[in-house]
Amino acid sequence: MTGQAPTPVQMERQRQRARRYTRPGFLIQLALLACLVAGPMLMPSFRVMDLVAKIMIFAVAVASFDIILGYTGIISFAHGMFFGLGAYSVALICHYSQPVQYHHLLLAGLLAALISAVVAVVISALSLRVKAIFFAMVTLAVAEFCHILGYQWSSLTKGEDGVSFKLPGVFNADWSGGSLWGTQINGRLLVYYLILVVAVLLFVGLVRFVRSPVGRVLKAIRDNEQRATALGYRVFRYRVLSTVFGSLVSSLCGALFAMWLSYVNPDTVLGTPLMLNILLMVIIGGLGTVYGGILGAAFIKIAETWLPDLQKLALSLWPKVEFMQRLAERWILLFGILYILSVLFFPKGVVGTLRDRAEVRRLRRLGRP
Amino acid sequence: MPEAILSLAGVHTHLGQHHILQGVSLEAARGRATVLLGRNGAGKSTTLRTVMGLTPASAGSVVFDGRAIEKARPYAVARAGVGFVPEDQAVLRGLTVEENFRLAMLQESPEAWAKLDTIFELFADLKKFWRAKAGVLSGGQKQMLAIARAFVGDHKLLLIDEPSKGLAPIVVDHLIASLNQLKQHTTIILVEQNFHLASQVGSDYFILDDGRVVHSGLMKALVDDEGLKQSSA
Repeated sequence: MTGQAPTPVQMERQRQRARRYTRPGFLIQLALLACLVAGPMLMPSFRVMDLVAKIMIFAVAVASFDIILGYTGIISFAHGMFFGLGAYSVALICHYSQPVQYHHLLLAGLLAALISAVVAVVISALSLRVKAIFFAMVTLAVAEFCHILGYQWSSLTKGEDGVSFKLPGVFNADWSGGSLWGTQINGRLLVYYLILVVAVLLFVGLVRFVRSPVGRVLKAIRDNEQRATALGYRVFRYRVLSTVFGSLVSSLCGALFAMWLSYVNPDTVLGTPLMLNILLMVIIGGLGTVYGGILGAAFIKIAETWLPDLQKLALSLWPKVEFMQRLAERWILLFGILYILSVLFFPKGVVGTLRDRAEVRRLRRLGRP
Repeated sequence: MPEAILSLAGVHTHLGQHHILQGVSLEAARGRATVLLGRNGAGKSTTLRTVMGLTPASAGSVVFDGRAIEKARPYAVARAGVGFVPEDQAVLRGLTVEENFRLAMLQESPEAWAKLDTIFELFADLKKFWRAKAGVLSGGQKQMLAIARAFVGDHKLLLIDEPSKGLAPIVVDHLIASLNQLKQHTTIILVEQNFHLASQVGSDYFILDDGRVVHSGLMKALVDDEGLKQSSA
């Protein structure tokens, strides 16, 4: 082929490759990454660092749920459970290992991945061949079983008291490494950066996954299962793969979450509210977008963190207006209103709706009304 | 007469309690375009779906390229080399035109990509909307995409169900030209109500009625036989 003029397909692919590193989306990602790296140094507030760490963890957990729900069209209520399995893997191994060492963290991560993969394979193999609603019910039952197990198996999990533990070496909250450019280097900061590195790697992995040939097949299955099978794809295998991969990533997010809190209990990592939060985040961000996970997680976590502060704000702004203070007290109501507004203005989630608008503009340029 | 690439013998298919195919027997010759004709509900589309394994046969045999496939799952039939273009512009609407093509290439190869260049010559619009979602294409463009997608899949046999359904006459003329191009490369079985298209593309025909083959022969002979033509409509 050397010396021949490029074919139309080759020219189109060359154009796409050339644009890869100059596209606004790529530049926004770089800027975001720079903010996450420099954030703790520029704004040394634990509250902000705590918020950002949780947003990173949940952004990946939501993106992994998006693989299952948004890309493959499988309704699973067990995603929170896998998150909890990962969290408990770290908590129990660190709690029962004396003295706790670095390899225990690695072991906990591997255990979390292994357990979640096995559980996901078993649930998928037993129920993915049947109707979607049956799979949803099975996952709900298994998730609730694990939640109850977290309470009842108190000899291992410490029941509702939960498990608190210490991290090894430089990740221990008590460790201090002096200061650098005015920033205190301590265990919390290093755990933050560990979360940042792992979250970025997992997120990149998820993006690569959905852009891979497997990701295309998953989208085809969501679009029309029969057409996907008539094209030669074994739908059941791909569904299992999607469920296992998404669940595995969720369990690793749970492991990061446990490391950040150094504490877990059944309600925070296995309860239904966690699953509902993940579901809200994916809907707000946009189904089938992966990047929507970042916005969804940021929206919910920022609202959860800052809306309760409205009470103080209302008191200082309108000290004599009782109605405003009572309204600010009921911040969960404001949260509900914000959620409704976001769904009204962004029916396909923020990223989904913005993508749709960009697509409409692009089609207009191509001459389609 | 070339050897048969597909043979159906005494095929029966049930859809729920309905007995749709009641002993269909036919042969499609390799390298030719075979058209299935007949009134609505005669069992033409079900015949294609039965070959594909989407509505499996309850009795009878389906042999493709020397291999029995009546019990095979649809993905296995597709991987054996049978491409299926269902009716209603069956593209994957939520995926881009590019993704639709890449899915059809079970193994992405330089040869498969080279075929796309031929496709772009035939259907220039597909290149224009390369990165657009297939759902936004017009009816004609969707049909072109569905057929072109089957073409890149490197199939030995293509089953095409009513490709002209819902298309404007000018688009149908374009479709005839593309199907004629396509049949230079692969064997086609076409279900079609539009006799003009069927006669322009088909080499052989089978007329189905009430789930059975009632007449067959060369398309050329059918074109000359006014009486039979009326009964096939």
